[in-house]
Amino acid sequence: MTEAIQEMTDYIARELVRRPGVEITPETPLVSSGLVDSFALVEIFVKLEKLTNRRIPAAKIQPKDMDTVSLMFATAEKIGKLRQ
Amino acid sequence: MNILSLSYLLFVLIVWLLARALRPGKGRQWLLLAASYGFYATWSLKFLAILVASSLANYALGIYLRRRPTAGRLWTAIAFNLLLLATFKYLPAWTTHEGVGNVPGLLAHLIMPIGVSFWTFEALSYLFDVYREEDLDPSLTEFCLYLAFWPTVLSGPVCRLPELLPQLRSAEPVWNDIAEGTRRIVLGFFMKTVLSQILGAGLRPGEGVDFGFNQIARGWSGFDVWILALGFGFQMYFDFAGYSNIVIGTARLFGIQLRENFRDPFLSTTPAEFWTRWHMSLSFWIRDYVFLPLATWRPQVWWRHFALVLSMMLFGFWHGADSTYIIWGASQGLFLMAHRQFQQFQRRTNLQLPASVLNFGGWAITFTFMLLSWVIFRANDLHQAVAMFRALIHLGGYRQVTLPWNFVRTTILIAGLYFAVAGLRKLAENMKRNTVMARLGWALSPAMYATAMLLIVLMSIHKSVFVYLQF
Repeated sequence: MTEAIQEMTDYIARELVRRPGVEITPETPLVSSGLVDSFALVEIFVKLEKLTNRRIPAAKIQPKDMDTVSLMFATAEKIGKLRQ
Repeated sequence: MNILSLSYLLFVLIVWLLARALRPGKGRQWLLLAASYGFYATWSLKFLAILVASSLANYALGIYLRRRPTAGRLWTAIAFNLLLLATFKYLPAWTTHEGVGNVPGLLAHLIMPIGVSFWTFEALSYLFDVYREEDLDPSLTEFCLYLAFWPTVLSGPVCRLPELLPQLRSAEPVWNDIAEGTRRIVLGFFMKTVLSQILGAGLRPGEGVDFGFNQIARGWSGFDVWILALGFGFQMYFDFAGYSNIVIGTARLFGIQLRENFRDPFLSTTPAEFWTRWHMSLSFWIRDYVFLPLATWRPQVWWRHFALVLSMMLFGFWHGADSTYIIWGASQGLFLMAHRQFQQFQRRTNLQLPASVLNFGGWAITFTFMLLSWVIFRANDLHQAVAMFRALIHLGGYRQVTLPWNFVRTTILIAGLYFAVAGLRKLAENMKRNTVMARLGWALSPAMYATAMLLIVLMSIHKSVFVYLQF
């Protein structure tokens, strides 16, 4: 899980943050700080499903549940269903 | 009861004094609910009947969904609210549309309760939250108050129960709430009754945005269209942000902090940023309950783009079933998509631009696009929007100006003042640490408020209503 969290953190810092050069850690607020936009949130969601190998019901998740990398992995574990 | 009237201020004062006599809890909730229903009934008793019926039905649907939060039950609840919107928002508008002809029976008597789309979206967000198994247990009184709370019942901001419920239970205003609430109310009145009014109706008869958009027979030059787009953009902003300030300020007097609705939208440097600063309570609602579930439904990139455009079209449709609103929404979706493509191109090619170029260029493009899109939004129909865009690209027409020069000067002055004030505010924020500047700010604020109040009184002789009440 730690590796997956690191991979997600790197992916967000490299590909998705609005202000390149900002340091991203697993605890950095992403949505509430405006660092990522709605479109990036969808890309994070898709990546999260891939990294956790879980199907996450979209209607059960809110942007506030994905505010930090740590929080999104905790949410995925709580509501995601493991893929066969 | 118009919230710009003296009777509204008196109503707020009476409810506030009564609320002070009660402790936070059930007694105060009953008082606020009675005041909210009383306020809404002043618009129409029929409106109130529909609001109460919707509140009871949605509360029952919430219980039904909480017992077993399945997708089927959620869809039943969504269908009920969509049917309610179709019946009371879109059907009455359709029956009065030209070309529909004689409307039979009950259809001819349908009414559109004011604010129906705002409180229906609040009900829907509650049902989504119940489906997500969020820890929510409102009593019937609390739920009815959530939908009917008088500061927000007419035109939002669109609230969420998880944020409002703890405040309805225990909010107790302190001095800071009262000071901030009063400041927001005065600012809101100033924005609406002075700035929006000057732009909308002009300083003299035969001027203003409304007059300019209605001079169909005379036509427009390219310069006219730019001025009208600028004027309407700022009129909408001062109107709706002014309204939001009044209602946020009113709730704050009772110790309740509502969601913000506007945050200097015209300073946005990207379209994505604009939609986190303009009518935020609705744009976040669309993001959370429409765009995200839809966009994550399929993993393909094209699907995400499609979901984006569709969500923004729905945003447009929310304002009304006119083609101009839907095209306006689609244009916003396409602009957001184009911005996304540019971001990806920038990353792929490692294109490094100086931050100042990127920020200024981004601001100029975003601001210009938003102005042009207001032409579609405000035009009386699609033919008018096309005629106005034709005028924009007809370079020869720029030599003439048909709008009154007084209106042109006023519009440019107000827009310039907006940017000057926004710049000064940023400067003041940076200087807040300086105690001399902070004291100077305190010394100047009474003079500023006195001037604002004087202008509000002078301008109040004009009859004014909020643009957003029609949605």
